[in-house]
Amino acid sequence: MELQRLGVKLFVENPSSLEIRSFIPIFHSWIQRQAIEGHLLIDIHDYSHVYRGPGILLVAHEGNFSMDRAEDRLGLFYCQKQPSKGSLRNHIQTIFRTALQACRLLEEESELEGIRFKTDEVLVVANDRLFAPNTPETFQQLQPVFREFFEQLFDGNEFTLNHRTDPKERFSVTVHSPHSMDTQTLLERAQRA
Amino acid sequence: MITTWKEKLADQIDPALAQEIDVFETQIELRRQGKMEEKIFAETRLRRGVYGQRYDNGQRYDGVRTQELQYPSADLTKGPETLWDAPGMQRIKIPFGGLTPDQMDVLADLSEEYSDGILHVTTRQDFQLHFIHIEDTPLLMRRLAATGITTREACGNSVRNVTACPLAGVCRDEVFDVTPYAKSCARFLLGHPDVQDFGRKFKVAFSGCKEHACGLVTMHDMGGIAVKRMEDGKERRGFELYVGGGLGAVPHQAKLFDSFLPEEELLPITQAISRVFARLGEKEIRSRARIKFLVAKLGIDEFRRLVLEERKVMPEDPRWMAYLPEVRKYQEKPLKRSMSLNGEERPEGFEQWYETNVYQQRQEGYVVATINLPLGDLSAWQVRGLADLARRFTGENVRITVEQNILFRWVSESDLPDLYRELQGLGLSDPGAGSIVDITACPGTDTCKLGIASSRGLAGEIRTRLATKFSEMDEAVKNLRVKISGCFNSCGQHHIADIGFYGTSRTIGGRKVAHFQVLLGGQWEENAGSYGMAIGSVPAKRIPEALDRITERYLKERKSGDSFQDFVRHIGKKELRDSIEDLMTVPPYEQDPSYYTDWGDPREFTMGDMAAGECAGEVVSLLQFDMAAAERLVFEAQLQWDDEDYSKADELAYNAMLQGAKALIKTEFLDVSDDPDTLVKAFRERFYDTKLFRDKYAGAKFAQYLFRRHQSPPSKANKDDARRLVEEAQLFIEAAHACWERVANRQASDPSIDQGVPSPTGG
Repeated sequence: MELQRLGVKLFVENPSSLEIRSFIPIFHSWIQRQAIEGHLLIDIHDYSHVYRGPGILLVAHEGNFSMDRAEDRLGLFYCQKQPSKGSLRNHIQTIFRTALQACRLLEEESELEGIRFKTDEVLVVANDRLFAPNTPETFQQLQPVFREFFEQLFDGNEFTLNHRTDPKERFSVTVHSPHSMDTQTLLERAQRA
Repeated sequence: MITTWKEKLADQIDPALAQEIDVFETQIELRRQGKMEEKIFAETRLRRGVYGQRYDNGQRYDGVRTQELQYPSADLTKGPETLWDAPGMQRIKIPFGGLTPDQMDVLADLSEEYSDGILHVTTRQDFQLHFIHIEDTPLLMRRLAATGITTREACGNSVRNVTACPLAGVCRDEVFDVTPYAKSCARFLLGHPDVQDFGRKFKVAFSGCKEHACGLVTMHDMGGIAVKRMEDGKERRGFELYVGGGLGAVPHQAKLFDSFLPEEELLPITQAISRVFARLGEKEIRSRARIKFLVAKLGIDEFRRLVLEERKVMPEDPRWMAYLPEVRKYQEKPLKRSMSLNGEERPEGFEQWYETNVYQQRQEGYVVATINLPLGDLSAWQVRGLADLARRFTGENVRITVEQNILFRWVSESDLPDLYRELQGLGLSDPGAGSIVDITACPGTDTCKLGIASSRGLAGEIRTRLATKFSEMDEAVKNLRVKISGCFNSCGQHHIADIGFYGTSRTIGGRKVAHFQVLLGGQWEENAGSYGMAIGSVPAKRIPEALDRITERYLKERKSGDSFQDFVRHIGKKELRDSIEDLMTVPPYEQDPSYYTDWGDPREFTMGDMAAGECAGEVVSLLQFDMAAAERLVFEAQLQWDDEDYSKADELAYNAMLQGAKALIKTEFLDVSDDPDTLVKAFRERFYDTKLFRDKYAGAKFAQYLFRRHQSPPSKANKDDARRLVEEAQLFIEAAHACWERVANRQASDPSIDQGVPSPTGG
């Protein structure tokens, strides 16, 4: 299987205190300093008028970042666009590292008044219906790799993988862990995992 | 194991289409290897709907400096000044806007996998996907082809999407359903050898009636309005055929080619028109290459003669007639039995939505429900949701509109409450379809390379403000239409709105300020019956106030039964300009920096920190003063045109251009003569020959407007020519502003350039 296009969403713990358009100037400042490692940040798009849509989008050559509002849950969604070398395990590690790096940067932004990301629940999306149709078979195939990665990410603590089975939607799994930690710790683990 | 979409969809794609996509994939590879010339590849991809997007030259102003975007493929290009890796746009043609639920599902999937999860409905019944990588385009095309959609000729110098009235077939006033004609015409022209050698694009539209906006025929390169005629006791179908219309920088109303073109002649005459356009249309000067210029140059009578001559010598093509039996059989099938809306429980908000978003079809018990899309955008999740609703309520009877909305046709009226509830769940139940809150906007500076100001940012702002007071609005104001373009090219169709805006910029104290030119009195009805005219340029941040003032005045001072066009006529454009003139002033940056950013974009609207030296400041002030005089002249020209004094309008428009030219010349020497020959000569030498007046994208076309009028004044100005000259004068003045900005930027970035201390003696 040559699945390379993956995405991950980390949910905001305290969404009610945030105004979606406040991310626009922050993303502009990220472009000014090219703040995300390994990414060429290009442009910003305001989709705040779209109900439960991508919210505010930061376009990079390698992938899109968005303060996404799908399912009425605000979160940072990072979705890889460019094929990269390495195994599926490497791809998962890369998207987590990148997404967590972006979450950390947001948490450090003073204008966002204490935004925090949840670490006990993440959504992983396979953005490729050819290599990862949303079927039980795909889940069977991907599960071992996902399990191996999350065991390391959660440092051996328990977690659950739930396959979201709507056949029209992209293949995705929700990962739940009863243990919460800060994003910095999770980022460090993602870098080691 | 299947590892490519090509393998997976092999038996679902028309073989000819599959081969075309294979060829395109090969061309991508050839260009990547440097084996295909950049310009040829650019036109090749454009003809596949693969378009460039803002910043694809690898440069972007980030609010502090202009960044060089360092893409992995470095200098490899996919067209002149268009970098290979830069994300682009994919346009997807939807002939007459007709969609099926299965196609909607695929479009949703593509937007997620290759774009940004959003589908954008355009003003010509297309979809656009943004931020697409060129390598992904063949995959995307195959997946579309498997559902019967082609992107072929969605861009480039070709026949663009064939559009039609979205109510065709269900309209209460139409003469007959134009859908099958639009469909057949699109199919006939797609890839036809006679449409491959155009100098510019060619847009076709069909209308079922003359009175309503319908297909907006008169603003198209070619368009047909359905008509019937009795001959020998038999009813015959045909078209009132128009040719040579178009918006763009200088709008033209199409000319009547034939008051009754029999249906049998629709395709052959279309082909003959295409052949004449391909043979005689301008090829070198892009800005004069649309068919409207050919028709204006030849005159409609000579153009018609040439087309009819061509028709006589064309070899017979069986396809000319083969589609007609299909036309007769064409019938849409409703999904459900019709039932009137009776005692069903009506959810909150339903009545208001029903009032503005529901149209009673001529077929009793059936209605058309309009799904109002903010800025023409909807997410993949919403599209999938709509596809499911279509399967439940309307079947295959979905259409997208030039007002950037979606229509569900053939909905049984009794289903409306349920449909409304479901739309609420998708966040798509906004009322106000076709009203003042349903604003049309082109992509503008969000993604378009030519955008000057943020049309979407402004549209979003106005929509938000108006939505809060929509329910209390007077019907007369509710029913106005607002349309916004990010530049003069009219993709937002600002000319045919009651109130239209197009983006411009001005330099104030060395910094750029986004502005919008305000146009009043365009007509949406009667197939875009007349075009609005500019009354002045207002800073982007004051446009919502300008809109409020104009609508308040309309409400207070209109006479009973007055349309907005009537009101503009009787109040007069001068008076209306006066009522917003105070909004045109821009305070210094230090006093209010908010003017110096555009809607929805916190970056300063300048191209960098500009030195505002005392000397340069004086020169700019002088220039601004002179340019204001030029603008005043063009405005007066419009007033004269309104009063039907076309000679005076022509003269004033010409003088406005001379004044604009003089303003520029005075930045170099003050004692410039008022003699037109001297002015034009000096302008030519100092700004045209030096290429200073040359716009990066539009080239020298704006200067040509002045030269042409100077060289060939009309012996007697007629209505159309005077109108055109007024439009051209407006654009010339905008170009003069832009020219001065370029000169000032150059001076600011290179101190060795003469800072423009005006020489009193020339030099």
